[in-house]
Amino acid sequence: MSALICEVVYRGIFQKNLAARIVRGIVLSARKSERWGIAFGRYGDSPQRNGIPAKDFAIVADTKEELEQNMARYEPKHVDVTICVDDTLSKGVESWAWYGLQPINRLTVPNGTVLMTSLQPFDALLKDIHKKDAPYKLSLIRAKASFSGLWVYKEDHTEVRILGALAKIAPSFLTLDAVAEAIKEMEWGSELKVASARKAFDRMETREVKITEGNPEVPYAFQMPKWWEMREGVTIPAIPIGKPKEGGQGYVPERNPYFKKFSTRTMRPVIDFDTCVKCNLCWIACPDSVFDVMPDGTFDANMEACCGCGVCEAVCPVEDCITMVNESAFDDNASQWEAWRKDKAGYKTWLGAKIGDKKTTVRSHGFRFRGQYDEEIKHDLDSGGVEITAGIPGENADRKTV
Amino acid sequence: MAETTFGNATQVLEPFRGIKKVTLEEYFTSGHRTCQGCESALVMKLMVKAAGPRTIVLGSTGCMYVANTTYYTTPWVVPWMHTQLGSSGSAALGTAAGLKALMRKGKMKAEPINVIAFCGDGGGADMGLGAISATLTHKEYNSLILLYDNESYANTDIQLSGMTPYGAHTTFSPPGKVHRLIHKRWKKNVAGLMAAGHPECRYVATVCASYAVEMMNKVRRALTIGGPTFIHSLDPCPKGWDYDPMLSHELGELAIETGIFPLYEVEDGVVKYYGKTKAIVEGRPRKPVRDYLLKQGRFAHFTEEDLAYFQEKVDQQWEQWEIPGVVPFRKLDAAQAALNVK
Amino acid sequence: MATVTTTKAASEDKELLISGSEAVAESLTLADIDVVTAYPIRPYDTVMQAIAKKIANGQLVAEYIVAEGEHSQFEIVKHASTVGARVFCGSSGVGWMYAMECLVVTPPLRVPMVCLVGNRALDDPGAFGVEHNDALVVRDLGWMLCWIDTSQEALDTTLIAYRVAEDRRIFLPLAISADGAFLTHSQAITMVPPKEKVDRFLPRYDRGDLLLHPDNPITVAPQANEDWVIEIRRQNDEAMKRAVGVIEEAYADFRRIFGRGPENPWFEEYMADDAEVILIGMGTISLPIKVAIREMRAKGKKVGLIRLRWFRPFPFERLVKALSGAKAIGVIDRDYSFGSPFHSGVVANEIRASLYNADKRPPLLSFICGLGGREVTLEDVNKAVDMCDAAARSGKSDAKTHWLGVRE
Repeated sequence: MSALICEVVYRGIFQKNLAARIVRGIVLSARKSERWGIAFGRYGDSPQRNGIPAKDFAIVADTKEELEQNMARYEPKHVDVTICVDDTLSKGVESWAWYGLQPINRLTVPNGTVLMTSLQPFDALLKDIHKKDAPYKLSLIRAKASFSGLWVYKEDHTEVRILGALAKIAPSFLTLDAVAEAIKEMEWGSELKVASARKAFDRMETREVKITEGNPEVPYAFQMPKWWEMREGVTIPAIPIGKPKEGGQGYVPERNPYFKKFSTRTMRPVIDFDTCVKCNLCWIACPDSVFDVMPDGTFDANMEACCGCGVCEAVCPVEDCITMVNESAFDDNASQWEAWRKDKAGYKTWLGAKIGDKKTTVRSHGFRFRGQYDEEIKHDLDSGGVEITAGIPGENADRKTV
Repeated sequence: MAETTFGNATQVLEPFRGIKKVTLEEYFTSGHRTCQGCESALVMKLMVKAAGPRTIVLGSTGCMYVANTTYYTTPWVVPWMHTQLGSSGSAALGTAAGLKALMRKGKMKAEPINVIAFCGDGGGADMGLGAISATLTHKEYNSLILLYDNESYANTDIQLSGMTPYGAHTTFSPPGKVHRLIHKRWKKNVAGLMAAGHPECRYVATVCASYAVEMMNKVRRALTIGGPTFIHSLDPCPKGWDYDPMLSHELGELAIETGIFPLYEVEDGVVKYYGKTKAIVEGRPRKPVRDYLLKQGRFAHFTEEDLAYFQEKVDQQWEQWEIPGVVPFRKLDAAQAALNVK
Repeated sequence: MATVTTTKAASEDKELLISGSEAVAESLTLADIDVVTAYPIRPYDTVMQAIAKKIANGQLVAEYIVAEGEHSQFEIVKHASTVGARVFCGSSGVGWMYAMECLVVTPPLRVPMVCLVGNRALDDPGAFGVEHNDALVVRDLGWMLCWIDTSQEALDTTLIAYRVAEDRRIFLPLAISADGAFLTHSQAITMVPPKEKVDRFLPRYDRGDLLLHPDNPITVAPQANEDWVIEIRRQNDEAMKRAVGVIEEAYADFRRIFGRGPENPWFEEYMADDAEVILIGMGTISLPIKVAIREMRAKGKKVGLIRLRWFRPFPFERLVKALSGAKAIGVIDRDYSFGSPFHSGVVANEIRASLYNADKRPPLLSFICGLGGREVTLEDVNKAVDMCDAAARSGKSDAKTHWLGVRE
């Protein structure tokens, strides 16, 4: 008598179809050894938004009764395996204002597993993943995050590689052969995909994580009010008006104190204040009102509010003035402008290092033209494997093509 | 203050003369839960930036309600209230009427307060069309209705609306093995409908937030003119159109440059094109629609034949309509016209 | 227990021969409403015609908006109310249904809208006659609901309605139900009080912390998920519970200031004190019942009537007390609730539920009568009382619901 509970933490829309395939695959694989299962998305995440973290769950059990026992709650309160298909989520997940920032390993049971797709070394990831009061295992599949949109799916085999790895983590529920059989039968399955699953089974890397390891930061939390503490008439206070910066210059909008949205971000803008021509385009085009107007007329992107869409880079007329860089390259949300003001030469060096690394500036955040995903995958194969997938940068940044 | 025909004072909002003159104040900031690269969120930001602090905003159900203003995740600095999906017209009218009554009866300090109600394409062009139409006849109340058109019921996971373009992939029109195109309707010409059908509505405009300053100035013009006014904004939607969120701005530009969405305003019955649309009217070639369509996953199933059909419909709009992209009354050639006279 | 009846106060009243609808319009003028929205449907629209005249003649200054449908009609006043305007609206039958989405949202938004529902049968078939099902659809949603019987009660209740709905402790919408035809279209002598007294009774509507205005920046009704909704419902529950005390306060003040009005706000008791059989009904059905009771009393039969005024909040505690001495109860519903317990009408089952925990539970008989505006005859009432007599003798309720006045 036992059950296996898995969650898939993923980026809304970008990975919606991917996550759905993974949880379906788990249940259908377990079914091959006569187990019962259910696959479902967290209802509160729907409708999803591009980038906003979301969750799917798969529960498989020996008997129907045991399955019911695990389903008799809104969503699992603990999971045996946390599957995370974008390593920038290791910084924490903020789905709603009142959930605060939730560590990626929050629901993982003691001695359970966090299974991630990542190109980062273990130690770099553990700088981001919050400390946990129980030991657990961190397992990695070497791959970058697979992003696509609602209608065109990127067939880079990420879903089957997760299933293959899971067969190694929980063989008593999903044998590798069962996984292979299930993949073949699924409408998106193929022999090639079966081979990818088997490879992932062999190549998965695992490391024990001790309670002393991880990001020591205490994630911010929100205390939910009681019914009589809430304002009547379904009202909440508006956001106060913003203020000028020092000396009455510039402008900083007030921001929502409860929802910061930065865990939606997969890339962040890195700004070269020395080359900024103060055209105001990034500031006006930002849908999240992220750009604070500095006293000198440049713009500092507020890293607590930025969700990393990249529109600022797209509209910036100056080469390399705004560059989107993968979130994994950063350890905090500190102000770039303040760093630049304190030490201009030092900032220049820092900036050069950040925007100079193609691995972190290449972008693959969805559809740009028909046939793009096929090209990307072909490029991966040509360059000797699927480990590093080259994305296609924006029209505004042709030079960034690998 | 400006006095309108009915003595309703409005705020005089002069156009911003260039991006450097745009106010720094934000009345819509972060805190919302919209998608990365959400153009409609940008429209909200620019709309209230243009309107200023003495403004009340009413938002009908849709993405800009559910994602944009969820409990404790409000981005609004100005007062904001939800209204029902088909109620943007009624919300604008009720709010404006309430303020007017209280002010003229001395129960509230008299001052011009902007009332803006927004709706999505589902709320505005489908369900709420009747209420908007009614509001546009109530010339004694100042209100602006802004339709943000992301071409689907984007909040509920991208279902087909009356504004979804021909052939697009939505959850209600999936391309299948037997039927490649489920959706074969051509989208409504809502701004034209409003302008042509409401003789006392003094201002109707189309806008795109990719041209932010012009967009804000249309909002300012509408609020200054007063009475009921209407603005239709085309908003690229990374989720429903399926593209990299970074390209929201670019897709907005392409919609204009291909001539699919013309930018114009109708003030007191006079049509005026502006921006890149004006250049097209004056002879600049339109970009082919494929440059726009093939950048979006929702058209990834299109064949050459589909692309040609789409191009032909847009060409017709420019070559055969009385006013390109505005009034779909077909021009007759001289011979036909002569026959008709007989 | 203040039954002040100073003749001086009464003499200040103006005596008019007006219909229930016109009486409501008199009250709206006295209450100085700010925004009113009209859309035609019989029979409620008579009130809008009366208001239109008041405005045209300069007796009332208000925004009078003719909407393009009931949905808009109710949305417009909802929004006007949030910026601080005193509003009035109304409808009947399927018109009220057409506005349903807008009726649902007003209680959680705490919009103290006052409406008149001219009760009318629901389509199909299209019919103008009275049935209470239209107003009753909002009974579970946080609307306060009351039924009126006379033009005078229409006038008085409208003033009380604003006082109660706009009380900051409550802020809930309130629908006054008036039977189509019998009340909306018949004229009766009605006393109209002077404005000065109304001002003493009815304070200005103050939206307070919920005001939607640039000086009070709030976000109203942001979308909420399962983490919030039950708390919001609990708030509404509390407001409805508080309404009980506020309604009693309002009636007491009304009697003090105007020198008339009932001591018991909740229901009218007609010869019910010593009655062995008590009939229960709402609205103008009271007329034939009262006549029948007088005839029966003359023959020595102890029959009485309880005419419910307030349906939400439902006065279950007071009703149990009032019914404790009866030997049998007959509930006459002018509505239906197909498939409900005992296939009864709505009121019968509310009373059954109210009695469940009572020490004394007299036999209860359920009747459905007068649907679609069918006349409720003395014979119908006599028949009901005869059946109640039998139940009183046997001490047992029957499990049936009896349709009266239907061709069989």
